[in-house]
Amino acid sequence: MENLYIGKTKSTPEINFEPEKAKLKIEGQSYPENAFKFYEPVLTWLDEYLRQLDHEVVLEIYFHMPYINTSSSKCVMMLLEKLEDAYRNGKKVAVRWYYEQENEMALECAEEFKEDLTLPFATCALKEEP
Amino acid sequence: MALNLHELQKLLQNHGVLISFSGRFTQEIIEELGDAVKKYMETEAISRNDIYNVFSVFIEQTQNIKNYSAAQIGSADGDKIANSGIIAIGKSEAGYFVSSGNMVTNQDIATLSARLDEIVALDKDALKKLYKEQLRKEMPPGAGAGLGLIDMARRASRTLSYSIVKLDGHMSFFTLVVHV
Repeated sequence: MENLYIGKTKSTPEINFEPEKAKLKIEGQSYPENAFKFYEPVLTWLDEYLRQLDHEVVLEIYFHMPYINTSSSKCVMMLLEKLEDAYRNGKKVAVRWYYEQENEMALECAEEFKEDLTLPFATCALKEEP
Repeated sequence: MALNLHELQKLLQNHGVLISFSGRFTQEIIEELGDAVKKYMETEAISRNDIYNVFSVFIEQTQNIKNYSAAQIGSADGDKIANSGIIAIGKSEAGYFVSSGNMVTNQDIATLSARLDEIVALDKDALKKLYKEQLRKEMPPGAGAGLGLIDMARRASRTLSYSIVKLDGHMSFFTLVVHV
C-alpha cells in the first residue's frame, strides 16, 4: 500500500503513514476550518490499511498533538476507534502519545482518549520543547 | 459624528480588553489572532494551562461563529450574520475572559438557549461525562462536533454567562462570556 503524507500547516498536523515500516505518525496542532474534511482521507486510508494488515505485524502509531480543538478531537476518537476494532480483531496495534511535560492539558486530553480503550496506549512525556 | 477611536480604545481598556476583533471571521484571521493571543500571554509569564485554556476557548468561540455563519450563507440574513462577529479577550480581577458575540436568527434562539441552559446546570463531573458521550456519538452532519460549548464550560473557572438580545423581528444578538 502507498504511503500517506500530508504536510503540516499552522492549523493541521503532519500526517506520515508508512505501511512498510508499520509506523503511523500524526504530529502537530489541529484546529482546521473543517476537521471532518481534513481527516476524511486519513480515516479512509486507515480503513484500507487495517483491513489488509497482517496479524503478525506490530503496528505503532505515534501521536504528538500539543493542541486539538473539539471537532478534531472527534476525528481523533474515530481514528482511535478504528485502531481499537483492529486490536480487538487480533491485530497487533499499539499507540504512543507524546506530550510536552509542562503541557498538562495535552496529557489530560490523551488520558481521556485512552479511557474505555483496551489497546496498548502509552503516554510519554517529552522534556524539552521540540 | 466621526468615530473616535481613542474613546473606543479607552472603553475597551476600561473593561480589561487586551485583544479584540470585530467583523467577518475567516480561518486565517482566527489563526493569526490565536497566535497573537498566545504570544501576548507567553510574555506575561502566565501558566501554560491558562494559556492553553484561553487559546482553546478562543478557538471554539470563533469557530462556532464561523460555522454558524457558514450555515446561514445564502439566506436573507446570511451576510449580516457573517459580518456580525466580535471577540474580546481580556483580563479581569480573577483571571482571563474570552467574550464573543454574533447575530443569530430568532428561530435559532430556543435551541441555543436550551443547549446553554443544559450545560450551565452541570458540574464538572457531569460535563466530563457529557463530553465523553458526545465524543463517542455517531457524527451529526455539519462542520461542528457538538462539543464546543461543553469544552468551554469544562475549561471555565466560573459558570458560563450568556445573553440574547432581540434586535428586530428576525434577529437577535448573542453574547457568550467565558472566564478562565
